Amino acid sequence: MKIRSFVTVMALVGNLCAAQAAAPECSRTYTLALHDHGLLYSAATDSGIDKDVSEELVRRSGCKVTVSLMPRARIWQLIESGALDFSLSGITNPERDKFAAFAWYFSNKYYLLVRKDSGVRNLADFERNDPLKLGTIRSFRYSETANQLVDRLQVSNRVSQGGGLTPLYQALMLNAIQGMIIEPFDFPALEEARIRDITSIVEFNDPPVPHGLIMSKKALTPTEQEHWRALVNAMRADGSLQRIFGKYFKPDLAAALVNFH
Amino acid sequence: MRSDRSIQTAIGLSLLPWLVLVASLSVTWIVWDHERQSARNALHSQFDFALKETVSRVEQRAAAYEQMLRGVQGLLATTDLNNQASIHRYVEALQLDANFSGVKIIGIVQLVPTQDKAAHIAAMRKTGVHTYAIYPESAGPLYAPIVQREPSFASTGTPLGLDVWQDPVRRVALEAARDSGMAAISGKLRLAIDRQADAPPGFAMYLPVFASDKPHDSVAQRRANLIGWVYAAFHVNDFMASLYGKQSPGLSMAIYDGVETSDSALLYRTSDGAVGHTSVRTATWSASEYMVVAGHTWTLSLASLPEFEARAGRDGTSVTAVAGGALSFALAVLVWLMVNGRTRALRLAAAMTEELRDMAQHDPLTSLPNRALFSDRLNQELARAKREGTRFAVIFLDLDEFKPVNDNFGHAIGDQLLQQVALRLQNAIRAVDTVGRIGGDEFVILVAGLGGKDFVLTLTEKINQSLRQIFVVDGHELHISASLGFAVYPEDGSDERTLTRCADGAMYRAKNRGQAGINRASNAPS
Repeated sequence: MKIRSFVTVMALVGNLCAAQAAAPECSRTYTLALHDHGLLYSAATDSGIDKDVSEELVRRSGCKVTVSLMPRARIWQLIESGALDFSLSGITNPERDKFAAFAWYFSNKYYLLVRKDSGVRNLADFERNDPLKLGTIRSFRYSETANQLVDRLQVSNRVSQGGGLTPLYQALMLNAIQGMIIEPFDFPALEEARIRDITSIVEFNDPPVPHGLIMSKKALTPTEQEHWRALVNAMRADGSLQRIFGKYFKPDLAAALVNFH
Repeated sequence: MRSDRSIQTAIGLSLLPWLVLVASLSVTWIVWDHERQSARNALHSQFDFALKETVSRVEQRAAAYEQMLRGVQGLLATTDLNNQASIHRYVEALQLDANFSGVKIIGIVQLVPTQDKAAHIAAMRKTGVHTYAIYPESAGPLYAPIVQREPSFASTGTPLGLDVWQDPVRRVALEAARDSGMAAISGKLRLAIDRQADAPPGFAMYLPVFASDKPHDSVAQRRANLIGWVYAAFHVNDFMASLYGKQSPGLSMAIYDGVETSDSALLYRTSDGAVGHTSVRTATWSASEYMVVAGHTWTLSLASLPEFEARAGRDGTSVTAVAGGALSFALAVLVWLMVNGRTRALRLAAAMTEELRDMAQHDPLTSLPNRALFSDRLNQELARAKREGTRFAVIFLDLDEFKPVNDNFGHAIGDQLLQQVALRLQNAIRAVDTVGRIGGDEFVILVAGLGGKDFVLTLTEKINQSLRQIFVVDGHELHISASLGFAVYPEDGSDERTLTRCADGAMYRAKNRGQAGINRASNAPS
């Protein structure tokens, strides 16, 4: 689902400063895919954090990048095959490490959003209560404890998968599922009074998980990966990333997300 | 102590087959349980794979149709929205064969602001659609009438001009396509071309068409520069029939519009019809996935049928259970046979040993103790007499006139006579005494713990008397007598050899004196 092509000519010499030293060579047209997910990207408004980050990356690199929208599961498939060069806000695991490289630019915790009427006060409550179903997005992985919970519930046939956040929220409202795993950029949806009224949040006791630019190891050489990683680091260093996150979060939360070690 | 241990061993051995049975059945259960878990995991993986694959096939198919619509969208970037002939030729050129049988209609929706309504109707009528009108009637502020349907024969009887903006279901998709600039599908629809009462559920896919010379990079620009939509209308059952690949057998599937799995939202159900509100709950495996197809949510419900579970190798567990159970019982029976075989063998060996010992110590004809056993008992009595200071006697007895019985009546009669003699001797003595046979017609008697002074003499006379009575053997009346000699411990000797020699000598002397004589050893005081 191709939505836009960006051709950015690096005409503004002033903008070259930080990135130019390690700028990618732009030897070809690159491909980048977004996925519809809360504040990361909304197809309805064609806006979001990932879109802003991608535009900034494209602008700094001076490369031609074709940006598409597709389901997350499809993105991982294409990254693995090398048909897709980039995606954004990815987290790693040993399996993904085999075919993808990452350039980290923010970090966040995961939370279990549960219906209040399910009586769940902690993670064990949810797991103990057999009729409760968890909604997840296909191909998504989370923090360690959250992954373990998902895997155990999956074996018991207690996981319903969705192609995105929106249907999971709808299913939660209809009580077709009683819980789902969310991230801070999914929080604004909670501001919808109806969801907020019927749900509560349980925290996973895991450290924040770094998220980053996903680079296909098949499509990009280690040198190219380093160049793009340098671009991302420059965006962190000069405050560009914090400014992007600041558009969507309160300043302290934006700072907490992008300032990690 | 030894006896207790033997009992314990016997109990242990008798329990062994049961222990083996319990142990082997336990192992069978563990293997069966592991097999069941493995089969269940494999089944789950297969089921999850089938679900994932089905979702993928639907998404891929929707993407193919979207790509097809993009062709029409591309055409409209180079020509006018009302260039019906060009659009007609383009759709014809697409050659929508059986591969695209899901598509019922490809059409154009034009965005008409209120102020342009009259001019739009006039322009449409000029193209030859003389009765063209926008319906249903509405006050605006804008209209989105269908201005072209291809292939036209598929929509015979359904006039152009349907204002799809008035339908809330279509309108959501029209707005989504407009704002995102991407394909959007509607909720469950009854297609406008469907005339029959029981028309199958359908949906429409819309792609926005923007003024070719205007930007459409932001939502605001897209709203400002939209001129219409290109759309494709589908019957869901035809759409599903056109999916590539094959649905995994043994699975029942249903697709619902949105996330609610109600009958009113049902778009499609496999012909077995097993997926429903009640049957899903009774299936071993059932799952729902909320797919996002062109920005719209469909719920795919999948449930396993018994056929699927059978294919997934559930039989393996029953084979394990049956084979394991049978082997357990066979093993237990084998152990039982081994344990009891050993016991039986031991018992037989003991019986044979006992028989051999008996044969070694007894005379086979009369069953009386032989010389060896008699000697053993004599020594025991000797030891006891020495220890306790008691007396005992040894009597030697030789039958008189026995040889003529053998000569006249044969050895068989002679043998029977000997057996009767043995019986009379046994009847004559006490239970504590021992009578033995040491030769052809020679017997010995051990008289233990002598009482009165003449006890032996009385006993010998009693014996003599008893043997003088007529024997009836096989109808023959036989008369015999016996010569007896005896020696008494300690007067006649203090060891076995002396005592037996004295008693033997006394017996011969008695025999020499005449038949049925009784004599005591010569060294005894008379």
